[in-house]
Amino acid sequence: MSDRIQDLQKSLSEGLPQCSVEIRRHGGVELISSKENLVGVLAYLREHFGYRHLSHISCVDWLEQNQFELVYILWNYESRIQLFVKVRLARVNGSGISVRHLWPQADTYEREIAEMYGLPFDGNENPRELILEDWDNKPPMRRDFDTRAYSKEAFYDRPGREDAKDVRSVISGRSGEEIPEIAIPYTRK
Amino acid sequence: MREKETTLYLGPQHPGITGNMMVKLKVTGDTIVRAETHVGYLHRGFEKLMEVRNWMQVFPIVCRICVPEPDPNEENLARAIEILEGREVPERAQYIRVMVLELARLASYLLWFGGQSGSAGLYTMPQWSVGDRDYILDLFEELTGGRVYHMYIWAGGVRRDLPEGFADKVLRVMDYLEKRLKHYDNLMLDNSIFQKRAQGVGVIDREKALDWGIVGPPLRGCGFKHDVRIDDPYLVYDKLQFEVPTETGCDVWARALVRRREFEQSISIIRQIMEKMPGGEFYNKVPNPLHWKVPAGDVYVKTESARGEFGYYVVSDGSDKPRRVHVRGPAYVHGITLLEHLLQGANLADVSFIMNSLGTCPPEMER
Repeated sequence: MSDRIQDLQKSLSEGLPQCSVEIRRHGGVELISSKENLVGVLAYLREHFGYRHLSHISCVDWLEQNQFELVYILWNYESRIQLFVKVRLARVNGSGISVRHLWPQADTYEREIAEMYGLPFDGNENPRELILEDWDNKPPMRRDFDTRAYSKEAFYDRPGREDAKDVRSVISGRSGEEIPEIAIPYTRK
Repeated sequence: MREKETTLYLGPQHPGITGNMMVKLKVTGDTIVRAETHVGYLHRGFEKLMEVRNWMQVFPIVCRICVPEPDPNEENLARAIEILEGREVPERAQYIRVMVLELARLASYLLWFGGQSGSAGLYTMPQWSVGDRDYILDLFEELTGGRVYHMYIWAGGVRRDLPEGFADKVLRVMDYLEKRLKHYDNLMLDNSIFQKRAQGVGVIDREKALDWGIVGPPLRGCGFKHDVRIDDPYLVYDKLQFEVPTETGCDVWARALVRRREFEQSISIIRQIMEKMPGGEFYNKVPNPLHWKVPAGDVYVKTESARGEFGYYVVSDGSDKPRRVHVRGPAYVHGITLLEHLLQGANLADVSFIMNSLGTCPPEMER
């Protein structure tokens, strides 16, 4: 297996001199591409190396480096070697590039990344909404989107739930209703 | 004369829909012109939530990503952490994990038997198969404490050892399920109603099946012998004997036959597991969960779930919380691009039938 991975790494470095090709510590091969080369690289891998199955497209927000990382995970059914193609993009005003003409299912991944990270894709303009309908806030999967602050702002507490007190005892305190013994919350003595 | 085009909204509350999602259909008469999948009724923000939880706290979240079959999620996450850390898993724990995964596959197929026949109007089957699924849930309850969500597999092994006499109970349930198969065949696969509804319906283009990212029973129904358990073996699957059934029809019928034959294979796998299960530890000691830091790195792990390749892309930045956990459910591809394509030109009555045959599962589409 490791021989075949080394062979693949060698032939990929020869075939794609514009990318850096490395053998991954946890198995498989990793390619780092630039955005300009990405579609060409993926099409080349698909046509000449048998990487027909697009397993996954993921996006990771590297807030500290002000970058998004798109990860394309490909699988070859013949050689059974996993391939990662990674591309780093600017976090502000950056954009990815669509590969839905190569794999139709990429459209769904791009729709989700566009709405969850606010990262548009060239060639997939105005994608249909996937999960979030009528969302006008910051894209929620970005690292700097604070879920707790958002929910404090958007929703209000149920009466009796403003603090961490037991709801039943708060309500019974107001109405004078007696709590059955079985429902009294246990407190450590 | 041009027929009038009508818009129909199927779901989110509809008995034929496999969960909370909606399919917007443009129909002329009974024929579907266009279909659009709308998800978003079940988005719980799990992937965001995982980024602010400790590694250990992620386990109760991931199992809720897939209701009928939660265990591949736990296994994927556990294996991702183990690969990143280089942590060994005792052999006994690996065998127990395979047993749990295969029991979950059986439970999931039993639900699917019910759903698929129910959407063809055969309502006895759901009563029987869901009833029989309860015997598997009883086993899960005894083993893990939970019937549907187990939170049983964790990094380093499994949470508990098998209880006293558990192996016998598992084998008894397997014998029972095997006997029941002929009744299922009578009710479903040998039933001419089912055959007429299923044959030639929801046909996937074989040439495109690989390029479209189709996995699991729909891919094997197109004649491709691809299964993660064989292609990229994990746990102890390479030590077990089992077949990967394929069919060539590419239609709902082919997918049904594939699942039906896989059911027998899973029973055989569980019997082998019970025979070969070694003794020893069932977990390796893990660090204090509150201060558990996973070395930086990223990994993609996958499991063959009942619906196909279930993948997790896990990124760690070396801290005590995951940087990113991205879930790839098979339904993410099957239930959106493929379903929309297959529904074009289909009959209105076949919508839920086709949907069931693809194993559409909204919770894993939107997490």
